[in-house]
Amino acid sequence: MKTSFFLKMKQILKKWEFVLFLVIVLEIVIFAGKNSKFLMPRVLFGSMNDIISICIISLFVTFVMITGGIDIQAGSIVGLSSIILGVAWQDGGVNIWAASLLAMAAAGVCGGVSGFFIAYCNVQPMVVTLGGSFLYTGIALLVSKLSATESYKGINGFPESFLKLSKFRLFGVIPSQVIIFLFLAVLAYFILHKTRYGRQVFLVGVNQNAAEYSGIHTKLIIMSTYVLSAVSASVAGIILTSYLGTAKSDIGATLTLPIITAVVLGGTLSTGGKGSVLGTALAAIAIGTLRFGLPLCFKVSQQYLDIPVGILLLVIIIGRALFGRPQFKTYLMKMKRIGRGN
Amino acid sequence: MKKFLKNREINSFLFLTVLIFLVGLINQSFWKPETIINCFNDSVVFTFLSAGIAFVILTGEIDVSIGAVLGLSSAVGATLLRDGYGIGAAVSAAILVGALVGLVNGIGVAVLNIPSLIFTLGVNGVVRGIIYVYTKGAWVENLPADFTIFSNRFLAGNVTYFYGAALVIIVIGHLILTKTRKGKYFVAVGDNAAGATLVGIPADKTRIMAYVLCGVFASMAGIIYASRIGFITPTAGSGYEMKAIAACVLGGLSLTGGIGSLAGAAIGAVIMSSISRILVFLGFSSDYDNTITGFLLLTIVVINTTVQNRGALKNRHEILAAKTAGKGGQKA
Amino acid sequence: MIKHSEAVDQKLFTASGIIKTFGINSVLKGIDLSLGEGEVLALIGGNGAGKSTLMKIIMGIYQPDQGSVSIAGEKMTVFKPSSSLARGIYMVPQEPLLFPNMTVEENVLIGLGEKPGILKKRLKETMAEINWKLDLGRKAMSLSIAEQQLVELLRGLMRQARVLILDEPTSALTFDEVESLFKIVEDLKKKGIGIIYITHRLTEVFQIATHVAIMRDGVITLNGKISEFTREMLVKGLLPDDCKEAERQEAEELDYTGLMPVFELKNFSGYGFWDISLKIYPGEVLGVAGVVGAGRTELAVTVFGKDKVLSGTAVLDGKDVTGLSTREILKVGINYVPEDRRLNGLFAISDVAANMTSALITGKSMGKLFVNRKAEYEITSRYVNDFRIKITGLDQSAGSLSGGNQQKIVIGRSLATGPRLVILDEPTRGIDAAARKDVYGIIHKLKKLGVAVMLISSDMEEIVELSDRAVVVYQGRIRGELKKQEITQSGLMAASFGVGEGKQVEG
Repeated sequence: MKTSFFLKMKQILKKWEFVLFLVIVLEIVIFAGKNSKFLMPRVLFGSMNDIISICIISLFVTFVMITGGIDIQAGSIVGLSSIILGVAWQDGGVNIWAASLLAMAAAGVCGGVSGFFIAYCNVQPMVVTLGGSFLYTGIALLVSKLSATESYKGINGFPESFLKLSKFRLFGVIPSQVIIFLFLAVLAYFILHKTRYGRQVFLVGVNQNAAEYSGIHTKLIIMSTYVLSAVSASVAGIILTSYLGTAKSDIGATLTLPIITAVVLGGTLSTGGKGSVLGTALAAIAIGTLRFGLPLCFKVSQQYLDIPVGILLLVIIIGRALFGRPQFKTYLMKMKRIGRGN
Repeated sequence: MKKFLKNREINSFLFLTVLIFLVGLINQSFWKPETIINCFNDSVVFTFLSAGIAFVILTGEIDVSIGAVLGLSSAVGATLLRDGYGIGAAVSAAILVGALVGLVNGIGVAVLNIPSLIFTLGVNGVVRGIIYVYTKGAWVENLPADFTIFSNRFLAGNVTYFYGAALVIIVIGHLILTKTRKGKYFVAVGDNAAGATLVGIPADKTRIMAYVLCGVFASMAGIIYASRIGFITPTAGSGYEMKAIAACVLGGLSLTGGIGSLAGAAIGAVIMSSISRILVFLGFSSDYDNTITGFLLLTIVVINTTVQNRGALKNRHEILAAKTAGKGGQKA
Repeated sequence: MIKHSEAVDQKLFTASGIIKTFGINSVLKGIDLSLGEGEVLALIGGNGAGKSTLMKIIMGIYQPDQGSVSIAGEKMTVFKPSSSLARGIYMVPQEPLLFPNMTVEENVLIGLGEKPGILKKRLKETMAEINWKLDLGRKAMSLSIAEQQLVELLRGLMRQARVLILDEPTSALTFDEVESLFKIVEDLKKKGIGIIYITHRLTEVFQIATHVAIMRDGVITLNGKISEFTREMLVKGLLPDDCKEAERQEAEELDYTGLMPVFELKNFSGYGFWDISLKIYPGEVLGVAGVVGAGRTELAVTVFGKDKVLSGTAVLDGKDVTGLSTREILKVGINYVPEDRRLNGLFAISDVAANMTSALITGKSMGKLFVNRKAEYEITSRYVNDFRIKITGLDQSAGSLSGGNQQKIVIGRSLATGPRLVILDEPTRGIDAAARKDVYGIIHKLKKLGVAVMLISSDMEEIVELSDRAVVVYQGRIRGELKKQEITQSGLMAASFGVGEGKQVEG
């Protein structure tokens, strides 16, 4: 249990999170070198709104993927939460904050339903959340029909206090979205890496059988991760509604793939058992920086941004696949042994 | 219940028939042959997409890049047509694009052993980006009229040429998968990969082939899409991959592989793309479309999986019981 | 279709001087084996004897380090499944690898290149030859295990196999099914097909084999015509040479006076075992002997709440614990160390500390909300020190440890819950001698603490050395209970293989 500074440094350098950190630094250096405007806090933080949903949701989809599952319904729950919030407030006359809670509760139920099918009926997570994404998108549309407002227009005119949720600036610069993201990241970090619950999430993902033999309520744990990711999606939906000032049923439609990309890029094993909140958060920031910096500094059109993100994902998973091969591993072991001199 | 499991595509077909019958009971005008045939005609893009991804799903994998492949191949084909190239050149180029992307997917999944969802997700991003680069973010418009009008040409009655072609290709593909030696490899790999290797089936080659076919089918869907819509936006086909997967599940394919057929996928595509039309005939708003698709999907997979799991458990118990000597005093 | 006219001494298959080593484990240490036309060679041996490695070499899955395999006089140069298949070798695995969603016909004919019409005709002929009737249109998943095996047999025959390897074909068959399988084997014998028949059941050997070979620790200890041997000779061949019964530890015999059993099963039945009654006393090790697949693991996991109890009761400290869930069973004080460590025991990519405390993590002893790192550290280091687990740190991943150290971690985890009864399922399988000694030490410590131990083992020496009492499970039923003085390796072995005085052998 030696914890000399050198050893610790070595451990940190080996970690995936460090690689991601380097990627972010590299991005910032390149972007700032090209266009100094990039470093202006107002500009930098202003970009946060575009990726805040991805950042928040991917934190909790990490939980799902650590159990070996996948969640492609989170995007649809963003829209559902937004419209429930809007309709409850405007047409139901509910207090805006109570409406927010209602939206979160409804999202929790949706996550619970999908999680139940996955954990207790052993249906593939991919299929269930695919069905869920259709169902919840559909329900969102139906909810929007309950409103007196035409659904394509969206529900507007929210109270100032609610809009402030996304307009607030700490010290006049740091937007509330950044604060909320940091808060949720720290919260997710503690839940996943420090609590008994988080430990069980990992154990279930590493070996579900062994977890059951250890008396862990594996099904409940699995189901709960889907509830968590759904609730986080609703939080993202509420923030997005506040930022846009409009409640719409389809505001989360294109989020699914970026979320999964962030989680995988963050080092979460798609087979489960391994992953970290820090990794996901860094990956989300790295993607965000890329999406923000390329148009600003290199005049890359917004729409081309799927390419660098896609390439980043492909390079990393192919690299990992090659390095993870047994032949390669035994080779590494051999080299290590030779290095140690035995 | 056993029959239900045995012939899933027949069940999907029965479901579609009953659906048409019931809708007709409520609204007689639905029973007109043109209306029903139009349900089929309108499903043609999804029929190709679903049939293509069916190859991949049968081997137990997934491909979420087909929406992007549809977009890219239709953009490539449409650009060539707009610029005065012949239809043959345009179609070949589009199909080449599909085959190439399929090959990349196949190598990533079968050779590099990367989980198919993750890998095709990455490819999806890259292909979608290439569309923007290729089209410079602009719409591809002004396609030759004889190309766009072709989607309304009828082969016989009011069956379009496109659906006729789809029918022929599906029937041929279905027969290859179920009747030929190598065709059966696809289902075999998805059914029991270890067992397949043991009887000498090249599992990796089969998987790569499945992805290539999937890409080719998606590009054919792209050509038809271009003809039907008449212009290509850079986001063309996005989200279609999820609908194609859903259509396969509705058509009786199991995402765990080894169960289902091309015919099933084609029927699933018709069911899925007819839901909104049916809703209109029933006097509902088509807003229920997604809700019903999602509900159907969940119901079907939950029932199927539960039945399957029960069967597996029962099997295991039977084997164990057989191992026990003189169980319950039945035998001396 | 097979002519007998040519030289009779032409062997179908010969293996000579086969040596195979995995890392530092030498699994096969010079195997000579041959099989002639129409012969049925029974191959017997315990777990880890090297049977399956040998078969994998014959099937072309592994390449031998030394030695040669010839088929019909022709030396094998490439070791690939396809080339073995092409030379007419076919193995029917213990668990058939059929395509569950395909029909019987598709399962048999898949991969064969001839025209469908001809194939179908040939299939019908083959089926008629072995006099077997089955609806070819049935899906494989609806078949019983016996039928699945027959489909595998058909696969082999349709591929014109000259050598069939049957790996414990009767282990999952009922009495009648075994009879019909034997008839088919007889037919195949007459057709000149050579069969390697791997089995655990000595009675079967005398029923159908023409030759017999016993493997132990990578060598053939006994080989010859079946007529030259008796059952007793075979049992002896299965035991190690240095097996001296007298050298058994005559340590303190447990004093049962006034002891109440910690755990009791009364007519306990479930899937894979039937009508089991036994008692385990505090500080006692009850050995549960038998061969793999006898139903012992099924018994253990059913007690542990993983499968349905069909009838009977389980009692712990006078309390009925029948049919409780695994979580409840753990709480009342029963813990189980699973047989398959990799599948059910180890969290391979988790660290040592997480592995050691995984059974405690659901309870408050590991902290209220947050994981109590101090408690985790204390518990883990206690077992690491007590069990002499060799690790570089508590954060080392468990999968990178040796098998012995992994096993000690899994045992440590189960003891950390403070159980009244510990069920150890093959606790020393696949671990080295030093670790084995340590595990035995742990078991002795448990005895001193008054914990009841149920020791499931296929290693008879282990049962003899550790048990205060022993039962033998054969085909899901208890076949005799032995007091400490009565436990001998040969007695256990005989009963495990279904040989024994008194009771008639079944199946």
